[in-house]
Amino acid sequence: MKVLAMYNIKGGVGKTTTAVNLAYLAAREGQRTLLWDLDPQAAATFLFRVRPRVKGGSRALLTRGRPLAAALKETDFEGLDLLPADFSYRNMDLELDDTKKRTRKLGQLISTLSGDYDMVFLDCPPSISLVSENVMRASDLLVVPLIPATLSLRTLDQLTGFVADAGGNQPQVKAFFSMADRRKRLHRQVIATLSADHPHVARTIVPALSIIEQMAERRAPVPAFAPRSRAAICYEQLWAEIRPT
Amino acid sequence: MRRSSFPPYLVVGQGQLLGFPEADESPLTVEALAAALTDDFAIEFGPPSVVHGADLDTFDRRLGAAGFSLHHLSDPAGQQLVLIPPGAHAPLTMPVTNAHWPALVTALPAGAVRDELAPLVTIRALMVLDERDHRIRHGELRNEDQKILARLQLIEQAADAPAWLSVNPLRGYGGDTRRAVRLLTAAGFPPIRPVQVALTRNDTGVRQVRIERSAPAITLLVAAWSEHLAVMRANLPGVLDDVDTEFLHDFRVALRRTRSILKLGRAALPKDVSDRWEPDLKWLGDLTTPVRDLDVYELGLPEMAGWLKAAGPADLQTFAVQLRRHRSAARRTLVRGLRSARFRNVLSGWADVLADLAGPPPGQASGLTVGELANRSIGRAYRRVVRGGADIDQGTPAEALHSLRKRCKELRYALELFAPISDRAARKRVVADLKDLQDVLGRFQDADVQKQTLYRFAEQMREAHAPTKALLAMGELVSHLDADQQRARGEFDRAFARFSRPAGRTRIRLLRVGR
Ligand SMILES: Nc1ncnc2c1ncn2[C@@H]1O[C@H](COP(=O)(O)OP(=O)(O)O)[C@@H](O)[C@H]1O
Ligand SMILES: [Mg+2]
Repeated sequence: MKVLAMYNIKGGVGKTTTAVNLAYLAAREGQRTLLWDLDPQAAATFLFRVRPRVKGGSRALLTRGRPLAAALKETDFEGLDLLPADFSYRNMDLELDDTKKRTRKLGQLISTLSGDYDMVFLDCPPSISLVSENVMRASDLLVVPLIPATLSLRTLDQLTGFVADAGGNQPQVKAFFSMADRRKRLHRQVIATLSADHPHVARTIVPALSIIEQMAERRAPVPAFAPRSRAAICYEQLWAEIRPT
Repeated sequence: MRRSSFPPYLVVGQGQLLGFPEADESPLTVEALAAALTDDFAIEFGPPSVVHGADLDTFDRRLGAAGFSLHHLSDPAGQQLVLIPPGAHAPLTMPVTNAHWPALVTALPAGAVRDELAPLVTIRALMVLDERDHRIRHGELRNEDQKILARLQLIEQAADAPAWLSVNPLRGYGGDTRRAVRLLTAAGFPPIRPVQVALTRNDTGVRQVRIERSAPAITLLVAAWSEHLAVMRANLPGVLDDVDTEFLHDFRVALRRTRSILKLGRAALPKDVSDRWEPDLKWLGDLTTPVRDLDVYELGLPEMAGWLKAAGPADLQTFAVQLRRHRSAARRTLVRGLRSARFRNVLSGWADVLADLAGPPPGQASGLTVGELANRSIGRAYRRVVRGGADIDQGTPAEALHSLRKRCKELRYALELFAPISDRAARKRVVADLKDLQDVLGRFQDADVQKQTLYRFAEQMREAHAPTKALLAMGELVSHLDADQQRARGEFDRAFARFSRPAGRTRIRLLRVGR
């Protein structure tokens, strides 16, 4: 089982969009796939038409031993299950702090499903917190969407530093440019300087495309409702480039 | 109430099954289902597709007897075999392409399905016993958010047969689905328990006839003959198509029983019946013998390969090829015979005789009762075995043992024929001892005959310039058979003594007098 976390300290960079599309592609190629929506805002949960409710909330899962399996929801797509978000997840930091292995709790919970899934995607809330520390420890790969901007490099460096400091299991880090706009000079400049041969930056670039915004109305992954669109092809390329083997 | 057994193989691999038989008053249609649900739910169905389902088993229903059922499903998307084990075990599936029935299990693609089938089916071919088309419409049950709660299959057989709806909730949506199911139930579509499609049993074994000792003997003879004639007729198509070796075997067993009854029943029959029919039935027996003999060798090849010490299994290849060639030739003769006018006349003539003997008036048949005939036949057959066996000592030639084997068979058939009126326990004990004796004599004679046959085969092989190794391997087989024969000869005295001891005699008397 491989664990992939969509991670960035910032919001609105494309984490959820990436998680939903890549998880769909993984399932489509036959991997038994789970997406855990860790963000109390429940955007990924919404995109799969699932209600953002977990019985007993995060407390039941983290401290009361309610099995993750009991909260699973099968999505409309074969081989893809969802562990929905719940508004109570906003207190996850505090609850994690109360548990014994405070930085390893999420990883422990995820490993209880290791026989059931080949790929687990984590859609993370934007923050640096105990939740993110848990995510680092639990993951094999951090997928980091970056909007091409002056501070992109700094964001990435901060993140790799954070990973290095976290200790224990160190996930690989793979960033990619998300919502890139070729008409913007700044975007072109940043992409040119950063992606040349940076070991942590993927070659695939996901441009800003209106069909991606349509996911919110269609409530489905792009490759499911527009399989031949440029956006779908971009995510397929990105998946082929970063997918763990 | 219409029959509503749901074919479980249609929902293989999916979760919980809820089915709905068509309510008698309101047909189960997409419209009726939609009308039964509230606004919280929506259903959608795609266009129908046709799934062809064939039920498979061996001719003698070995899978059914072991509680299994096997199905071959084909639809435009592909074909698969579905094996449903007994109890609550999950079905096994295997994709197949171009499957043709009947087929031996060795012709199936390797995998779990074949592994499970092989020990059950052994040398018998799998064949289609029943088949039907289903029209299937795949659909979904959704909630207000248009989220799929359950996958649906609307399953229709023939136009006038009941339809079913199978409901397979997605993980995490069991509760929501149950709410919808309750609405459907309230609208007159109650859940049913899936019942396995029952394969129509067509028993090919010998059925036990119920009869009194005082009934006319001829009644018993005709009943037994009719049974054997039915078995011959049932196996005939499989013999002609060479489906597997056991069709011919079963055909021959029924024929042999028919002939032995002709002999045993002589005293109770109109004069000319035995004389008129024995030659024709013998002709039929002789017609079928060569192929059966070659089948025995072919089936025995793997075992024979195990006998080899100096030679290896590959050295039997020439022999195997020769067997195959002889068998093809023998089969041509057999098929020609079975398609001949003479065969048709024998079979229909024999059926007419049975009809005549069954109906009144009883003609010139003797007034013997079943009990009287049983006493005569069993006593006579028993005495013949005892006398024949007593004459055998160390110096007796093999022919005497062969003829004793024949007498044992006659006694065995007599015990079988009169089983309906005989004491079960006594008969079982007699048969057990007799079986041991038959086994010894059978091994003795089979080895003797096979030695001679292998010798003839080897001679032909030599004339065809077979490799020396192939000939030497034949020598090893002959030597093994010779040892077998000696061993059987050595066991004869004990087996015969056991059979002819006083306790056996007492039991035979018990059988003759009846309960
Ligand atoms: N490549 C893209 N092109 C256009 N819009 C995008 C793209 N990627 C994401 N978006 C939109 O940007 C918004 C934020 O994306 P989201 O994936 O929710 O970010 P995050 O999870 O990081 O907060 C959403 O409205 C989404 O539809
Ligand atoms: Mg998000």
